[in-house]
Formats: sequence, structure tokens, C-alpha cells
Amino acid sequence: MSNWKLINKIFTYDGTFNGLLTIVFYCYSNKLLPQNVYAEEKYIPNFLDKVFYIKTDENKAERVFNGINKNICYEALYNSFYAFNSNRKDKEINILKYLCNGFDVGPKINTMLTLSYVYSVILMRKYTLSECHKLKGLLRFIEIDNNIFYASIHPENDIIEPLGHHFIRRLPSQKFIIHDKNRELYFIYNGNEYRIVDNINISIPTIKDNEQKYQELWKLFFNTISIKERKNERCQMQFMPKKYWQDLIEL
Amino acid sequence: MMLHAVRVAVIEKIRIMVLVMAIYHGICHTWGADGRCISLLKILFSNSCIYDCKYCINRATNSVPRATFTPREVADLTINFYKRNYIEGLFLSSAVVRSPDYTMELLINTVSILRNEYNFNGYIHCKTIPGCNQDLIDKLGCLVDRLSINIELPSNDSLKLLAPQKEKDGIIHPMKYISNNIKINHQDKSRFKKNFVPAGQTTQLIVGATPESDLKILKLSESMYKKLSLKRVYYSAYISVNNDRNLPTLEKPPLLRENRLYQADWLLRFYGFTADELLNKENPNFSTLLDPKCDWALRNLDKFPVEINTANYYTLLRVPGIGVISAKKIISARREFSLNFDSLKKLGVVLKRAQYFITCKGKYFEHVYKFNKNFIETNLLSSERKNLPSQKFEQLSIFDNLLPTKEDKIKCLTGSL
Repeated sequence: MSNWKLINKIFTYDGTFNGLLTIVFYCYSNKLLPQNVYAEEKYIPNFLDKVFYIKTDENKAERVFNGINKNICYEALYNSFYAFNSNRKDKEINILKYLCNGFDVGPKINTMLTLSYVYSVILMRKYTLSECHKLKGLLRFIEIDNNIFYASIHPENDIIEPLGHHFIRRLPSQKFIIHDKNRELYFIYNGNEYRIVDNINISIPTIKDNEQKYQELWKLFFNTISIKERKNERCQMQFMPKKYWQDLIEL
Repeated sequence: MMLHAVRVAVIEKIRIMVLVMAIYHGICHTWGADGRCISLLKILFSNSCIYDCKYCINRATNSVPRATFTPREVADLTINFYKRNYIEGLFLSSAVVRSPDYTMELLINTVSILRNEYNFNGYIHCKTIPGCNQDLIDKLGCLVDRLSINIELPSNDSLKLLAPQKEKDGIIHPMKYISNNIKINHQDKSRFKKNFVPAGQTTQLIVGATPESDLKILKLSESMYKKLSLKRVYYSAYISVNNDRNLPTLEKPPLLRENRLYQADWLLRFYGFTADELLNKENPNFSTLLDPKCDWALRNLDKFPVEINTANYYTLLRVPGIGVISAKKIISARREFSLNFDSLKKLGVVLKRAQYFITCKGKYFEHVYKFNKNFIETNLLSSERKNLPSQKFEQLSIFDNLLPTKEDKIKCLTGSL
């Protein structure tokens, strides 16, 4: 990748993973690297930039997708997929460089942590998955009518799919909805299969009577179990940042 | 169409990874105002006790309000909390109602409602009541993940003094019985075997209510880990709630002692230390200033400094400040390239304590001027407590060197000084 041509252009794409893979295809086949890559909706126009929109091509994305799995390694696919789901600003250019270099050197790319873009891709993956891990514990279901459970979350990264998978394993026969309020995404599971939908109007039915009872009991337990003499709010906040408190029942 | 099918297969592969990730997750669901994580619904089934243990708030002669759950209530509470993702499982303990056997039957009832009726597959930890029938232990052990019996006090004499109705044999026998059954269960290769206490057994003891030394407690834990293959021993600092002439009067619970015992306990289980290495008859209690590992390292300075690039795993583990995770990271990272102090920092190895005991490529850390006990001890203490002055250079004594000698006085007189 060292002798590739650096061009003074900004690439934009439609904001999907396939779109980014199309850019990887374009860059790799023409041996060039753009100055930066942005999703079209997040790009703020600047009169110095030469903007170039790359249209998503499913076929090319397909080839890159299979190529990563075949020529780099499965882990690279995993890393780039979760790095892409994070909310970091410079994620696209880092993933682009990571994948392009990965095609040159093969699976060794994941151990080359001294390269800043490799390190940042792995860091972004870690960042996304650690938020997912935190929310596996901090998500609270509310029982609504028709024996359906509903939970709202405000995550920073797009983690609704791995999170939903966790709860399908945990409650295999329970119907539930997880609502990502920052992105307006819904993970809907009907006891058999799941679907992720956005921009639909779901009116949340009323809360059941005994739901209130269990919430009260939970608050009582939560307040009773903490030892008053050892009160330590800083420690509590370190494990449970305040950004998650809005969805918790007990706080 | 073919391409599409391949794509779906690859995405499915990612999904499998997602699912694998879903298996390994933490168990903490919230953190209380004291900063401790809450993962289990931890409740007493009943507090109306027939025993009169002197240290306990619920002893028979205390006048406290008494209450008892019904098995159905506890089961309902657990399954509903679990479904709403409040908790990860149940931790059920109880006072002794009427008789040990009667209490055990209540606990078995509760757990079997959860397991068989509500199909609850989460984690259940249950206390065994000392002095109950062995058949009941068998029955309970097949339903729960973990069993525990509290030995409460670390010697038979203390038990006689403070908990006269409990006997050492009544506690140790069921523990032996459970550990034997777990071993037999492990060896059983039959497909239809019942899983007996798959998560092992634990115990708990009170620290500071009786005059036992740390060495005695640690020896007890060590032998329990070895002989009874316990998973954990929990130590709880004694908090005085009752007035009795046999009980010590402590103003504050001995929290530091509890902490030191936990630190030493980790050293026993994960670091390959033995109780005799950490403590001996001359100093049977842990130092209040330094943690057990630092204390051991300072007493055995001939084993240090350790060269990071060549030392084996077990030697690395004995360096203060390097734990299991750091040691493993070092082992895997030094395969690629040799390590210096900067790369150690990048790996995330904490050098606060380790810096005094290691070398990288034969060199000491930049601030470590000398390698002797006095220097290391002062610096370790000053980093623990910010108000103590750190020793970078040796304190010069005015009176040793600077008082004018006879020759100086003569020089003064002759005018050459």
C-alpha cells in the first residue's frame, strides 16, 4: 500500500457497510487513497474539498466481502464490521486503510498494532463491544400488554443486533421489543424470528398492573442492599456512567 | 443467486461469533450506592431462628420483627426479576426455622418450583443448613448450581464460645460429603447422570470476632482449598450488633484485615503461593501498610530483580503489581519483539509497584536509583500514601559529616578555609 497514489479528494457514500466495501473495491483496484471518507449525510461541505460520491454497488461489495474472509481472515471481517458500527468520526478512513493493507499482508495485519489505523480499528471494535456488554446488564424490560416485553436504550454505538441476540438466547420463548432511541431502531422478536426495523410508528401499549408492583419491589431491594456506612457514589458512577441512568428503573 | 447464498453464509458466520460473544457476558446488572455490583437476588428466606449465635442480629433472644416467605413468593419474585433483566440468579439463605431439616425442605421446595415449574435455568446459590439430613443435601444439590455452608468461626473453641448450638462436625461433615459427591459426579461418565452442584461449594467465615491470627485463618482456607476443593472462601469483617461479654467490642469493623485476607486468598488460588510463604510464626498477621505480595517480595529480595524478557510465567506472577492478565500479555507480546518499559506501558502493565522489581533488557526503570530494601520500602509506602515523603536520595545527616573537625578548625585559623 506504500506506493499507492494519495489523491486530494473526499469520498462520500450512502452510509451502509456495503457502501464502504464498494469504496474499498474502488481504491484497491485503482491503487489510490482518498484524503478522507464520510457518510453523505454526515459530511459538512467545505469549499476546499473536492467531493466525490461513490455509488454503492452490491456486486462489488459482495466480492470484497468474500475476499476479506478468504484473503485476510475471518477476524478482519469481524473487526471491521464492529468498528463500522461505532460512532467514531474517523472510522471509515481507518477501516479503508486497514482493509487495503490487510489485502497486501494477509492475516498478519491484526498483530501489526504499531500502525495507527490498525490500532484504532481494534480499539473501535473494543469500544463498541464493551458498550454492548455493559448494556446486557443495564437493560430493563417493562411488561406491556399481550405479554410482550419492551425496553428502551440510548447507546452511543449501533449495537442493537448483538444485544438482541443475547436476549434471544436468554429468553428464547419471550416476545420482546428493544428500542434504540438514539437511532430510532427497533429490534422486534416474536418468539421465533427477529427483525430490525426503523421509522415505523409503534404505539407502546399500556403498562400492566403487576409491572408496577415488581418495579416497586425492585427499588426496595436495590435501596436495602446497599450498605449505608460504605456509601461510595464515585465508585458506583465509574461502573455505571450517568448516560445510562435515564433508562434504569432503580435510579 | 449463488453469490447471494455465499453472502448469507458469511453473515451467518458473523452471527455465530455474535452468539459466542453472547455466551461470555458479565453478570452484574446494577451497582448499589456503595459501589458493589448487584448480580443476584440475595435474600434470607426467614429470620425467625431457633439458634442463639452471639454475633448474629437474628439470634433467638433478640427482639426483632420476624418474617418468613412462602416458597411460592420467592420463586415468583425470582422469575419475574430475571425476566425483566434485573438479576442473574438467586442467592438463597435462611435462618433455622423449627429444625434444620424443616428449613432445608422449605429451601428445596422453593428451588424445585423455580426449576421444574417455571423452567428457570439461571444461576442458583443456596445455603445448606448445618446439621441437616444427608438425603436433603442430595436433593438440593441436584437442583442448584452452588452450595455453601458457613463455617462462621475459624476454630472449634470459638464455635463453642459464640455459637454453642453449632458443632464443628455438623459443619465439616456436610462439606466433606458435598465435595466427595462432586468428585464422584465428575467421574461419572453416564449420559443420564444428574448434575450435582456444578458450580462447586463455597464457605464464609467471620474475621475479628475471635482472637485467631491471620496465619491460622489462611492455613484453614488453604487446607479447605486443597482437601475439600472449595471454589471460594469468603471473609467478612465482624460488625458488632449485639452486646455480650464473650464478644469483642470493636468500634469499627476490621475492613483492612478483611481486604488483606482476600488479597492473600487470591495469591493462594491464582499465583501459586502457599500460606507458609506469606506468613510465619514470627509475624502471624499481615502488615497494615503493604499488601501481602509486596511484603513477601521485600522479605525475599534475593529472588529479584526479574528480567521481563526471559523470566517464565510463574516467576512473572510473583512480581508485585503483575497479575495473571499482565503476565499473559507479556508472555505473548515478547514472542514478537523484546520489551522495554515503554512497551510495557503500552501493553497496559501497571508499573507503580512493579518498577522496583523488574529489569528490561538488563536495565532498571529510570527512577529506580538503587536496589535495596530500604529504598524500595520507602518508595512503595510513599506511593501508597501521598503524604509520606518519597526517598529519591539519601538524607544527609548534618551532624555526621558537616560538623567542623579539628583539621577544619586549624584550617580556619590559618586562613586557608
